[in-house]
Amino acid sequence: MKKLYSNKWVILSLVAPGILTFIAAILAPICLSVYYSLTDFSGMGNAAFIGMENYKDLVKDAAFWTALKNSILLALGFIIIQHPLAIITAAILDKLQGKAEGIFRCIYFIPNVISVAIIAYLWKFIYNPSFGLLNNILHFFGYTKDVNWLGSGMAIWSVLIVLIWHGFGWGMLIYYTGIKNIDPVLYEAAAIDGADAKVTFFRITLPLMKPVIQVNVTLAIIAALKQMETVYLLTNGGPGNETQFLANYLYKQAFSSFKYGYGNAISVVFIMICLAATVLLNKIFQDRSLKKEVR
Amino acid sequence: MDFAGKNHKKQAVGKTLLMLCLIFIAIIQIFPLIWLFDFSLASSNELFTNGLLIIPKKILWNNYVKAFIDGHFLLYLKNSLLINTLAVILVLIISIMASFAITRMSWKLSPVVRNILLLGMMIPIHATILPNFQIYNKLGLTDTIWALLIPYVAFSLPQGVFLTSSFMESIPKELEEAALIDGCNIYRMIAVIITPMMKASIATVSIMTYLNNWNEFMMASTFLSSKTWKTLPFSVLEFTGEYSSNYAVQFAVMALTALPAIVIYVLLNKHITKGVAAGAVKG
Repeated sequence: MKKLYSNKWVILSLVAPGILTFIAAILAPICLSVYYSLTDFSGMGNAAFIGMENYKDLVKDAAFWTALKNSILLALGFIIIQHPLAIITAAILDKLQGKAEGIFRCIYFIPNVISVAIIAYLWKFIYNPSFGLLNNILHFFGYTKDVNWLGSGMAIWSVLIVLIWHGFGWGMLIYYTGIKNIDPVLYEAAAIDGADAKVTFFRITLPLMKPVIQVNVTLAIIAALKQMETVYLLTNGGPGNETQFLANYLYKQAFSSFKYGYGNAISVVFIMICLAATVLLNKIFQDRSLKKEVR
Repeated sequence: MDFAGKNHKKQAVGKTLLMLCLIFIAIIQIFPLIWLFDFSLASSNELFTNGLLIIPKKILWNNYVKAFIDGHFLLYLKNSLLINTLAVILVLIISIMASFAITRMSWKLSPVVRNILLLGMMIPIHATILPNFQIYNKLGLTDTIWALLIPYVAFSLPQGVFLTSSFMESIPKELEEAALIDGCNIYRMIAVIITPMMKASIATVSIMTYLNNWNEFMMASTFLSSKTWKTLPFSVLEFTGEYSSNYAVQFAVMALTALPAIVIYVLLNKHITKGVAAGAVKG
């Protein structure tokens, strides 16, 4: 038995497919990216080695900082608007009994199963100045001016609205499951003590949801950093670079501006930022829960 | 008595208010889709109204016929289903095998390999597009099914390994030991004894992998050039160029391509909800 469970060849054959996939699709491309980031490769022809030039340019590139700022803005949008709304909705939904509960839960999640391509084009139409839904709603309430939703100054907020709208159901569902996992005995006890809905929410639901909130906030920040598809189709970072995000920017640099080497430098920095953010967030939340346990 | 009655009334008002909140959010979430469907049945001239919804003079199902044929709906749907199903199967096989080695077998490097396999969760998928484009170009893999399968599997694998390995730890070892004593080899034992016990986590992994990859189009639009392997989002992407002035047909193609996912979701609602909840909380 023991011999069978420590047979090197069997172990190797079991993990090899996974490791090979990792090397072929993730590790090798990243190494190649690091190499290209040190060259002035345009995508075709020869590449000349230029050392850290691309990275030096990147630090001075205003669009790069705009992209980072937009990611932070989006993360804040998720944390300040989407998540509180999602938690409250989940808490209300939890109290609802019967069929309505399932129907609402189903409706809230539907935007999540629809392809980002459709979502982006749908919102492009919703923002359309001549027949878009949003301007029609404004007309409906008596505001007669046409708003250029994807124009300068407005565009980033319009992008944030789409992303917050699209991800709402996902966040809601996770909080909903978290709430469902809370022991109902606690609520019964609170009810006997005469606690009303507000007190129960702030004293029982929220504190017990802390681990779920921490996981969700981490995921939201990472998702904000990784954002690409919706922006690519909705604005492609425009007007100018106002709605730029890192992933979209590297793609644009490589395939539209033919600065392939520079695009790869952004890729490398992008990966490092994501890794750093994940590690940092895990550290922060772990430290906190550890401290609490010690107390 | 009087006091209790008042309280009841207050509660009823509160309940209606909460209900209204839920309905309001539901409208925000679903109205854009209703609007999409409504506009997809009108003629392009009718779209320029000031009303929120239009009642088309004549319902133009023809928009859908155009969308169905010119959007290559069937071909792209077939490609999407095929590529995603293959990706799910590969992710399941690879992650169950790796999870078994990690959780059950005794070897020194086990925790290291586990962490390497999970590392992919932190890497942004879009950061690998540029180098992968060069690699696939050199290997002649662009415009083949592999250009999509390889990255789809690779980036769904970490979650698959995570979910299957944490589930496997909760399975008792007695059964497999009995099988091994009976002379069954490890590979057969994994296939015949372990896998059937993993149903719950297999469902979760499948759902998460499907959701992750079904909507993906950045890789697809970078690595594919001909129609052969293009996936469903391309019905929409290509159409907006071709029918740039015929807005109603564009609405129709969007509604049509959204339909399969919505139908599957509504049918499997309970399973998907459970799967996402299990996958997301742990992932």
